[in-house]
Amino acid sequence: MSQPAIFFQEVNEKQGVFHRRAIILQAFAGLGMLALGGRLAKLQLMDTAKYETLSASNQYNFKLIPPPRGLVIDRNGVVLASNRPNFRLLVMHDKDLDTNATLKVLSQFVPMDDARQTKLLTELKNTPRRVPVMVAEDMTWDQFSAINIREPELAGVSADMSEVRVYPHGGAFAHVIGYVARVNAQDIQPTGPNADAILLHPGFRIGRQGVEKAFDIDLRGKPGAKKVEVDARGHEVRQDPLGDIQPTPGKTIQLTLDADIQLRAMEVFGEESGAAVMMDCRSGDILCMFSGPSFDANRFVRGLTGVEYRGLAEYERKPLFNKALTATYPPGSTFKTMVALAALENGVDPKKTYHCGGSWTFGRVWKCDAVHGTQDMHSAISTSCDVFFYQTALALGPDKIAAMARKFGLGQIFDIGIPGQKAGLVPDTAYKRRAFKRDPVWHPGETPSMGIGQGYTHLNPLQLCVMVSRIANGRKALHPRLIRSIGGVEQPRGNAFEDLTVDPDHLAYVRAAMAEVTTTGTAARVGDLGLGEIKMAGKTGTAQSYTYGGGGRGAHGARGEWRLRDHAWFVAFAPYDAPRYACAVLVEHGGFGASAAAPRARELMRLALLKDPEVRARIEQPPPPNESGAPATSSPGVAVNAGKPT
Amino acid sequence: MTVSALTRPGERDRPVVKLGEIDWVFCLFLSLIAGAGGLMLFSIAGSSFTPWAAPHLARFGLFFVVMIVLALVDLRVWFAMAYPIYAVGLLLLVAVDLVGDISMGAQRWLDLGVVRLQPSEIMKVGIVLALARFYHGISSEAARFSWWLAIPAALILVPVMLVAKQPDLGTAMLILLTGVAIVVLAGLSWKVIAAGIGGAIVAIPLAVMFVLHDYQRQRILTFMNPESDPSGSGYHIMQSMIALGSGGLFGKGYGLGSQSQLNFLPEKQTDFIFATLAEEFGFLGCVAVLALYAAVIFMALRTAYVAHSHFGRLAAAGVTVTFALYVLINGAMVMGMAPVVGVPMPLLSYGGTVMMTVMIGFGLMLCVRVNRYSEVTSGKGALL
Repeated sequence: MSQPAIFFQEVNEKQGVFHRRAIILQAFAGLGMLALGGRLAKLQLMDTAKYETLSASNQYNFKLIPPPRGLVIDRNGVVLASNRPNFRLLVMHDKDLDTNATLKVLSQFVPMDDARQTKLLTELKNTPRRVPVMVAEDMTWDQFSAINIREPELAGVSADMSEVRVYPHGGAFAHVIGYVARVNAQDIQPTGPNADAILLHPGFRIGRQGVEKAFDIDLRGKPGAKKVEVDARGHEVRQDPLGDIQPTPGKTIQLTLDADIQLRAMEVFGEESGAAVMMDCRSGDILCMFSGPSFDANRFVRGLTGVEYRGLAEYERKPLFNKALTATYPPGSTFKTMVALAALENGVDPKKTYHCGGSWTFGRVWKCDAVHGTQDMHSAISTSCDVFFYQTALALGPDKIAAMARKFGLGQIFDIGIPGQKAGLVPDTAYKRRAFKRDPVWHPGETPSMGIGQGYTHLNPLQLCVMVSRIANGRKALHPRLIRSIGGVEQPRGNAFEDLTVDPDHLAYVRAAMAEVTTTGTAARVGDLGLGEIKMAGKTGTAQSYTYGGGGRGAHGARGEWRLRDHAWFVAFAPYDAPRYACAVLVEHGGFGASAAAPRARELMRLALLKDPEVRARIEQPPPPNESGAPATSSPGVAVNAGKPT
Repeated sequence: MTVSALTRPGERDRPVVKLGEIDWVFCLFLSLIAGAGGLMLFSIAGSSFTPWAAPHLARFGLFFVVMIVLALVDLRVWFAMAYPIYAVGLLLLVAVDLVGDISMGAQRWLDLGVVRLQPSEIMKVGIVLALARFYHGISSEAARFSWWLAIPAALILVPVMLVAKQPDLGTAMLILLTGVAIVVLAGLSWKVIAAGIGGAIVAIPLAVMFVLHDYQRQRILTFMNPESDPSGSGYHIMQSMIALGSGGLFGKGYGLGSQSQLNFLPEKQTDFIFATLAEEFGFLGCVAVLALYAAVIFMALRTAYVAHSHFGRLAAAGVTVTFALYVLINGAMVMGMAPVVGVPMPLLSYGGTVMMTVMIGFGLMLCVRVNRYSEVTSGKGALL
């Protein structure tokens, strides 16, 4: 090899081989370049659309803008549920983001101890990528602006202003309106309205009870989106306001409730347990539906602590329970109106009398509150004589009474738009056959207790309010209405229903007897509302909630241990000559209906009447006795025929 | 002032004459490519000369001068220095290997205090020189198939193994392919080539399964199906293809490539700079740059054709092969046709080492062109 390659032929040979092979090399290089060019043409000319989409989805993020939740207002436009601004701090995680370090930095701005940071880290880890998690809310303006300024340096951090639900009246409407709370994993469904991505938004709250739950979709609105350009680390580079999609606010829901009456109900109940329902007995609109004691729904929006929740759940007066709908109680003597109507409708002469000697023996001794003497139907309602109704009921039998009770809405569930009603029970022989397999026969001995609204009979306050409003109305089988309008669309009225197939004279008879109750009867003097000629008629009820050693009536538990006391009822309507409002008040374990329930009903009724411009006109300007148009003078002496409502 | 085979011997040695013999159109094309690189580096830095565009252009200027100077050197100096340069490269590779053992993991750099040197880059030029020098001295008969061929086999395999051990698979492959290309160009028997190809077909899958590191194997598997793991190993390939594809025919406009400007594209200033170019200038821009590369490759190969000396031929061809491999491998990788290996696009990508290698190589190539009529006598009598 040290020999120089000087021979021409040898040189030629080497050169020839090289040249031939270099052509192959050249061909390889050329093919390679052509392959690159071809590949480029495929990617850049044929698949452009695909990659443009991918590039855009890299480049742009849509940030959800939660829609403002719809308002809930009362019949007069008073706001019952609205939204207030809330400055929040959100953090999301993504690859290449050091969430731990981010939280460390953030703890300089908002107080966050190590335990809180650890908890947040876990939460972030369990949240999908790029879904923000709320680190702090209700920040002060100073905190908010401090973080907002530094936002560009803090990858994955955003400070925003959202809205949080607020219930300005605290507990007064808690049972009707319900509340909103954090979204659970169970809330998110693969299809249907709850498949919405907005549910993953950390500020989003879902309706949990009452109106908030039943009309969640209406109140929710449609989320908007903010188009932002982001870099590979999730930093927001710039915004694109033209690409934004504006959110659609939720619909406003107007209730038939009157905030003044509802708030008054909360006042008069205080810490007492019970419920008050008031209806307009011409339209069926529910003006008041209060359950006490209540709770502050605002606490639920943020999320209750375990201690708070247990406190509410374990309190024996059950503040979380809507007693107007969900709880059923024996109606007690208020049910006597139904027994009386059943008797009248079945041809029993109202003049027929029974003698009350304080008790009545039928199989056993059935006690009465007092010795009432000889009673006809009118006085028996007025004095709430049990002996009269034991025997009247026995003569009628359960099925006739039950049929009448059902005509007045008892034992029914009404479509008022919100969930949670219990039907209760109006017993009859069919019920006995159905429910008691081993003793399917209705025994006569079971009828007397039904006659005074005890025994199997269990009803909720709304039903009793419907009952008394139908008695007061006299013509229509009213149905209650709670939702007045949704997004400005009027909802069906409660009185667009069938006629009440009861003889108007019989109803007038019962109304007259109820007027007697509040004049000379069990709730004497309650009927005088202090509103001149405007009087209230009603019926008391004192329902045994506990069987005292088989003692039966007479052993009232108005004292002693709270949970053993009787339930106090009062159903009423006013003005009794031209009924406009009907109400039912229950005071759970309140003792006597006349003392615990009737005064509360009177307060609510007074307010409702005073707010009614027509009634108020009657109060302030009674029809002048002369034609001179002299200034109105208060004249409580105007005679009213209590027995004949107009 | 042109020269020919008949020009007086002394005349050809005058520097002015030599300067005239340099292929200035070729130099212009190189400058255009480097200029395009500067343009893209300026764009992805957010219209700023720092941190990339200015050093890139400055380096190119420096190495351009080096290239011209090297082109003016007598080819016999290159010829004489062929084995020494190879030997130094090999020694440094061994040194890196040892130092790398003492320090940690993959050590490719040798810190000489003044400069950080990557010996594998020296070896890219060294292997070309050594093989050209070797084949210059043996007959075409011996180059076909003989025991002599154990020497080029060793010349190739020893540095390849040392580099692969670093581990720098991309560079090892580049050295191997360059060496093999020279061996083939020098006239290796077709039968041996066929046997070699057959052996490679059997050996490569085995090597992938048993020899490669896990991460290297992962890269290859990911390449097969980049969408399988778009946020993991496939991320680079996916993002690069998105950048290319979304560029379309005309591109998104200079400075408007969202993939690179918003950092979705990894290694955007080095290995994936071609994707940046593709995104902002589209198919037309890419084809223009690819055409420049093709021109450079064919012009360099042309030099190998016209060289009278076998050493010159093989050296020029070897340099061209290295350069072409850079372009093809990087192009294929960026376009999702090859696994991600750390091979940059020469002259376009930011990075001094590769630019140095390429420009020194082209210095050698231009030197061959300037001295294309000299025969370069072999052995000690030549110059030194």
